[in-house]
Amino acid sequence: MAPVTYLEAIRQGLWEEMVRDPSVFLIGEDVGVYGGAFKITEGFIHHFGKERVIDTPISEAAIASAGLGAAFTGLRPVCEFQFMDFITSAHTQIVNAIAKSYWRWGAPAPMVLRGPSGAGVSGGPFHSQNPEMWYAHTPGLKVICPATPSDAKGLIKSAIRDNNPCLFFEHKYLYRRIKEEMPEGDVVVEIGKARTHRAGGHVSVITYASMVWVADEAAKLLAQEGIELEIIDLRTVSPLDEQAIEDTVKKTNRVIILHEDNKTGGIAGEIAAIINERAFDWLDAPITRITALDIPAPFSPPLEKFFLPKVEDVVREARRLVKY
Amino acid sequence: MKANTETKPSKPQPKAPMPAKSAPAVTSNGPGNQVVPLRKNPNGIPDYRAEVPNFHTVEEWADGKLRYTVTGDFDAPVPAIRESKYLNKDQSLEIYRYMLLNRKMEQALENLFKQQKVIGGVYLGLGQEGCSVASAYALDKFDWIAPMIRNQGAMLVRGFRPAETMMQYMAKVGAPTKGRDSGSHYGDIHEKNCIAPISHLGDSLPVIAGCLLGARIQGRNVAGLAYIGDGGQSTGPCYEGFNFAAVQKLGVVLIMEHNLWAYSTPVELQFACRDLADRALGYGVPGAIIDGTDPNQVYDVVHEACERGRRGEGATLIEAKMMRMKGHAMHDAALYVPKPYFEYWKKRDCMGRFEQYLMGRGWLTAKQNEELIRSVDEQINKDRDEADASPFPNGEDAAANLFKNNAETIPFKYGPPKVKKVSKDDKLGEASNVSHYK
Ligand SMILES: Cc1ncc(C[n+]2csc(CCOP(=O)(O)OP(=O)(O)O)c2C)c(N)n1
Ligand SMILES: [Mg+2]
Repeated sequence: MAPVTYLEAIRQGLWEEMVRDPSVFLIGEDVGVYGGAFKITEGFIHHFGKERVIDTPISEAAIASAGLGAAFTGLRPVCEFQFMDFITSAHTQIVNAIAKSYWRWGAPAPMVLRGPSGAGVSGGPFHSQNPEMWYAHTPGLKVICPATPSDAKGLIKSAIRDNNPCLFFEHKYLYRRIKEEMPEGDVVVEIGKARTHRAGGHVSVITYASMVWVADEAAKLLAQEGIELEIIDLRTVSPLDEQAIEDTVKKTNRVIILHEDNKTGGIAGEIAAIINERAFDWLDAPITRITALDIPAPFSPPLEKFFLPKVEDVVREARRLVKY
Repeated sequence: MKANTETKPSKPQPKAPMPAKSAPAVTSNGPGNQVVPLRKNPNGIPDYRAEVPNFHTVEEWADGKLRYTVTGDFDAPVPAIRESKYLNKDQSLEIYRYMLLNRKMEQALENLFKQQKVIGGVYLGLGQEGCSVASAYALDKFDWIAPMIRNQGAMLVRGFRPAETMMQYMAKVGAPTKGRDSGSHYGDIHEKNCIAPISHLGDSLPVIAGCLLGARIQGRNVAGLAYIGDGGQSTGPCYEGFNFAAVQKLGVVLIMEHNLWAYSTPVELQFACRDLADRALGYGVPGAIIDGTDPNQVYDVVHEACERGRRGEGATLIEAKMMRMKGHAMHDAALYVPKPYFEYWKKRDCMGRFEQYLMGRGWLTAKQNEELIRSVDEQINKDRDEADASPFPNGEDAAANLFKNNAETIPFKYGPPKVKKVSKDDKLGEASNVSHYK
């Protein structure tokens, strides 16, 4: 089969789950006739009908909460945010009503909250954000950030089948830029298990989402000088695969944590603490963070380039750690 | 100032047949057979009240202090409870019993609070029992409810026991949330279809809309009764949720409990219109104004709104006017509320007037009333003792059940979704290459 884009992979995942399970439905802004701002759900309304592909008013709080209410009746809503930046308009609903529902009063919330996040397309401060950590910080939520088409497909399927609320951050930069052949059949990817994107013995790069590809490019350059990166793609920032983090540190003894989210309060700080707790004695060099700057995502291309982590940052820090 | 005197004399309503609760009065005679409003407000919203109180709160600075004074006719005669078009004797007595249970349970909670057996605050629904109870009484088993702090009476009607509510307030292990969440924050999606509120006001509105959407996808239109205060209706989620329900024609029956205060804030600082029911025009749904201290008006109008919802005709906005007869919670002496308000509304207390109505109609004798009150007292005492005897939860139980096990199956509430059949052979085409950002 021909390779498909990250975007098509998500479409396939949603489609297959909707065919498989009549309890799955889509709800969001412009998801019906128009097929969503990025065309993720194009064609769905014709096949599944307007009962299962619901266009809403511009009301993010209502999208998330109506999903929750429908979940209380045994359905599995997939709520779309046109951009994950707008998830802030449903913040109370997600972190208070949805995240705490099962723990507080035993009412499960089997639902997915998904949409495009991330920078690199000159979206500016309100169409480029990586708000995953607000939710990783909230007990009761699962937070998924796939980097590859097959993971995007396998993880959206798992998220839909999960009995708990899952936030699914799609990276808009990857939508049409990467392609991969999909595995045959109904393949799901387990939530909470990291993936070794590239094996190597010298420096570990623990990362996720679009930064996997920045690390990948850096790895190719470094390999020419004999430095082998091991790239760990976390896939989910909550739950975190602590075992995978421990294993790679014990293997390479040198760690870079790389993410597109800004530095303060990003998952890198948490991972550094986990390494401290589980593998401190195995470190041969200080843990290094490479992240976006602690400023809003800028609009103009040179400003945005300056703001984001770059291949050369990874190359430079890897060389430094090897020599340390 | 004199009260608005457009009021038509309240004509005795034709007696309705006396239906069983599960089979409310037939409405086969069409709209002519509905409850008749006594007037319309200036914007055409039907008003079912027997009187239109005419008073206003005015802010005044005096001696370097801000205080509120009131203008208006506080000596207006107290109207009688209107006849119900739908409720029969047994139903009316059941509502009365729930109202008593509601009031006496809250009195018990007040005492438990004073004995320091309550953890946190107690929010009383004093004066609003008739509204909570009679509205919830209009629901069927399959309908949903989204209560707020002052609707503990509605929770009793939905089947929670006074002991359970008391244990919630006392943070006991026997409470519906086993001590995990406080006071009114409990619910049940399995039997009672009650959405556990979160503190954030307005947030249940879109949730109950979603419950009704879920029911509809499963092939069934049900009603969903939600409450919001005059303060809480100012929030964004309240607007978003009710607008969504209106657009989707979901049977959300929203009661705006206009009780004149939101914590210490008078309605004059909350919204600029006189009647919150005017909001119905903007939402594009039917609106109604009722006297929240008259259980018959509450039941009749809510019943008709629920029926509309169950017929798939959409949402209704009902403004129930009444008064919060205590402070915001036990700690608040409500010194900011001008005294004449308490005096005015005390004369209109739902409890005493409904009791009089039942007696006047010959449905309750003094002896039966005494008997009823005694049995409610007994139940409350028994439930209070049960709540008191329940232990606190074990600390380490807090960590369990953050996530629902994925091996468990979550059942459909109304049955398998009635959705368009899709063939497994249908193929997904490729998306067009158009997008907001490249
Ligand atoms: C979003 C939000 N803001 C503030 C509060 C704090 N708060 C709790 S109840 C209340 C007053 C509510 O007034 P109203 O909605 O009129 O209801 P009432 O207490 O009169 O029944 C306030 C301010 C809250 N719970 N939620
Ligand atoms: Mg109020």
